[in-house]
Amino acid sequence: MFSPNRRQMLQGLGAGLSLLTMPSFLVACAKQGAPVASAQAPLGQNPFAQWFGVDEALIREVLTELGARGATAADLFLQHTRSNSISMEDGIVSSASSSIDQGAGLRVVIGDQTGFAFTEDLSRESLLAAARTAAGIATGSAVVPPQALNVSPEGKLYAIAVPWADVGITQKLPRLEYVEAKARSLDPNIEKVSIAWSDSEERVLIATLGGLIATDYRPMTRLWVNVTANKNGVRQSNASNVAGRHDFAWYTDERLDTVAKEAVDRTMRLFDARRPPAGELPVILAAGASGILLHEAVGHGLEADFNRKKVSIYADMIGKSVAPDFVTIVDSAEEPFERGALNVDDEGNVGRRTTLIQNGVLQSYIHDSISAKHYGVEPTGSGRRESFRFPPMPRMRCTFMEPGPHSKDEMIASVKKGIIAETFTNGQVQIGAGDFTFYIKNGWLVEDGKITAPIKDCNIIGNGPDALKRVTMAAADARLDTGGWTCGKNGQSVPVSQGLPTVLVSSLTVGGEDA
Amino acid sequence: MRDELLKAAQEAVEISKAAGAQDAWAWASRSRSVEYSYRDGNLETVQESTSRGLSVQLYVDGRYSTQSTTDLRPDRLKSFIAEAVAMTRALEVDPFRKIPDPALFAGRAADTLDLVDATVSTINHDRRLEIVKALDAAAHGHQKVISATSGVNHSHDVSAGASSNGFSGSHESTSFWFGAEVTVQDAGDKRPEGYHWVGGRHVGGLPDVSAVGKEALDRTVKRMGSAKGPTQKATMIVENQAAGRILGMLMSTANARAIQQGRSFYQGKVGSELFSKKLSVTDNPLLPRGLASRLYDGEGIAAKAMPVIEAGVVKNLYVDTYYGRKTSMTPTTGGASNRVVTPGQGDLAALMKAINNGVLVTEWLGGNADGTTGDFSLGVAGFEVKNGQLGAPIGEMNITGNLVTLFKGLTALGGDVYPYGGILTPSLVFEGVQFSGA
Repeated sequence: MFSPNRRQMLQGLGAGLSLLTMPSFLVACAKQGAPVASAQAPLGQNPFAQWFGVDEALIREVLTELGARGATAADLFLQHTRSNSISMEDGIVSSASSSIDQGAGLRVVIGDQTGFAFTEDLSRESLLAAARTAAGIATGSAVVPPQALNVSPEGKLYAIAVPWADVGITQKLPRLEYVEAKARSLDPNIEKVSIAWSDSEERVLIATLGGLIATDYRPMTRLWVNVTANKNGVRQSNASNVAGRHDFAWYTDERLDTVAKEAVDRTMRLFDARRPPAGELPVILAAGASGILLHEAVGHGLEADFNRKKVSIYADMIGKSVAPDFVTIVDSAEEPFERGALNVDDEGNVGRRTTLIQNGVLQSYIHDSISAKHYGVEPTGSGRRESFRFPPMPRMRCTFMEPGPHSKDEMIASVKKGIIAETFTNGQVQIGAGDFTFYIKNGWLVEDGKITAPIKDCNIIGNGPDALKRVTMAAADARLDTGGWTCGKNGQSVPVSQGLPTVLVSSLTVGGEDA
Repeated sequence: MRDELLKAAQEAVEISKAAGAQDAWAWASRSRSVEYSYRDGNLETVQESTSRGLSVQLYVDGRYSTQSTTDLRPDRLKSFIAEAVAMTRALEVDPFRKIPDPALFAGRAADTLDLVDATVSTINHDRRLEIVKALDAAAHGHQKVISATSGVNHSHDVSAGASSNGFSGSHESTSFWFGAEVTVQDAGDKRPEGYHWVGGRHVGGLPDVSAVGKEALDRTVKRMGSAKGPTQKATMIVENQAAGRILGMLMSTANARAIQQGRSFYQGKVGSELFSKKLSVTDNPLLPRGLASRLYDGEGIAAKAMPVIEAGVVKNLYVDTYYGRKTSMTPTTGGASNRVVTPGQGDLAALMKAINNGVLVTEWLGGNADGTTGDFSLGVAGFEVKNGQLGAPIGEMNITGNLVTLFKGLTALGGDVYPYGGILTPSLVFEGVQFSGA
């Protein structure tokens, strides 16, 4: 069913048949791309081109078709994703799945207009037919690709030692069993433990009408631990997860122990947790996962598509002071192995580190190539898409706040009645009104400068620009969240990361009871 | 197309058996979709695609896995399934996993669902343009409009399934949607947004295009001047458009899987009066033109109407084969179809008049619920209801409570069923709801 819901949301809790072997793939990718001039030249040996069964002649033919009716820009996005998931319940694997998703997205841009088509069939005929469909938006005269296509060098932000295709299920199962047993061992009240494992590897090749060819190999993995505990007939459940663009070796005993312990602690704490009081309260955001504040209150509003359309509350605020001077907020593609890390974005632009707010002053939006052109700035490498089935849009990558000058103790001591937000499940924002929310699963009540009780299940609502002005303290303990987040915008989901030091916001509306 | 896909599914079952699976199930699908969006007098995006895919479920030596691919070249498919069978052998034996009982396939209803409108495929560029232009014109009918994006989307989906134990079936549907989202300039930097979309299986029977654009505009303009309301306990009306989300939340753990995993407040409650006597919900997969209608579910189980909640009493749960075996419950169906709430009487104006004072919630913003306990907290926006009339717009508020308690306090339902979704519900009235605001 077509979903007309175009809202932005962030989800935390939820839920190839290569002829090439990986070593040769890595060796070939280590080569610096050089300009090539014919179908016999290096692109022919490029492992990505071989993977997709395309050569320079075909790429040029498709690009020529995309530009046949005129274009400001056009691109061919080839993608192959191979993913595996395993779920374990009651100590045995209840389901194991693998999938292969392969296809091409073809796009023609005229100013801020986009024609788009995709196909799962990578034959010449299908690619050309889709290119003609995408070009249907244009009515001008032909633009042809340059004679030489330039292959960009490979990025190294998430180069892994062993590709996921080389890790069999028999290697993974003992890791699931280990973490399952660990979680069970941590508390006698644990009734159920379920584990969800996923790993994937994605290959993309992006060719633009401007003559750029960029390639990327993108691994991803995530492990969930869900726990249900039964204490005197009352049940509580909760979860934890770890995620990133890592390989199998990343799942050390220590990492699995940590995620199991987090899941159990978060569950057991619910038995004593209450609802916070209802109304406007100071909120201390714990370091790490609380980066959800930035994602919702600031990040989406700074995505340049909303601003060039003038529908964002931040549309007229570049250069203005929007937060205290100790607040610096960054959206970066360059955090190694993070879910939001990107060597190149899905338009072939190099992923960069973008300072959004510098010492309280709004510096930059988050751009795709359409908006960068609109504003006359360099692309920020933030043009992302869920898959070849969608055109790219400006999206966040890894959004975080730099350390501040205060301390967590200082913040707690300053609060007469308020809460600490510690773990989260999801958030959402209205771009134009600026209202944002995030849902606290676990937190603490603070009374008279002291932590007095655990709290649970509380939605927070605030207004982006208001909340930024109310950031009254930020600590030195900045860190990124270890759990995996997925951002949804206009029906497209992409992996993101976030982080924050401990931060005090002087007032937000807390969803509570019995005020 | 249906025959072609059925053949592809049957072939995939044969390939799976030849590769060593004792049992197998395959689904093949094809979907054609066209979408235009139009912003402030210009066509903004044109998307047009035909998508296809194949998924296979394998039962190998007491083990089970599921596979899907979009690479349908015959040699690739064969090696893909062969690798998948080998991978499945590496799993442990799962005594609860069995292919669905073929007895459940029997009794499939005659296809009177009317899910295909042949005129959908005749909608051309000019017609799409005409629709988005009319939406755009209507959505700009106010001086405070900053931007309006209108859209039209239509699709044609076909799927077919086959199993090694005798299931075969195919499903075809069309859909047609259009609507607009509008942003207006409010005081200061605030630019409230609103939207309205309508759609269905058929082109006919939908409201006038301009009226939909105007409704999107009106819903947005009404939000202007929104302020935070007070922290209070109040009577809450949830508008029909918004009511689907909270009903979806209420029913999200009414299934055997959640119960088996100890994550459902429905555990041990079948036959109990858990909610207000006013609440009755039937899962009806056989609704003509329904957005979630079907003749069989994902396990091939022949579709039939199933009361889930009747006068507040939990009557049936969603039970699939696997969790049915784990919980010793009889399979009903693993997933929801059209969820039909038995309506009451009166429109929104009548409900407001009846409650006199309270809060009308027209949209949600974020929030969540714990399916194990039913505890929820949700962001809301809407309007005050004063002396039986629509009052000032309010927002940046939360409601917090427990879903079971909330639905015990369901005091009335309107007669205004919202038709554009898989949850068919009227506006709902709840007593004693905790609002957090100023």
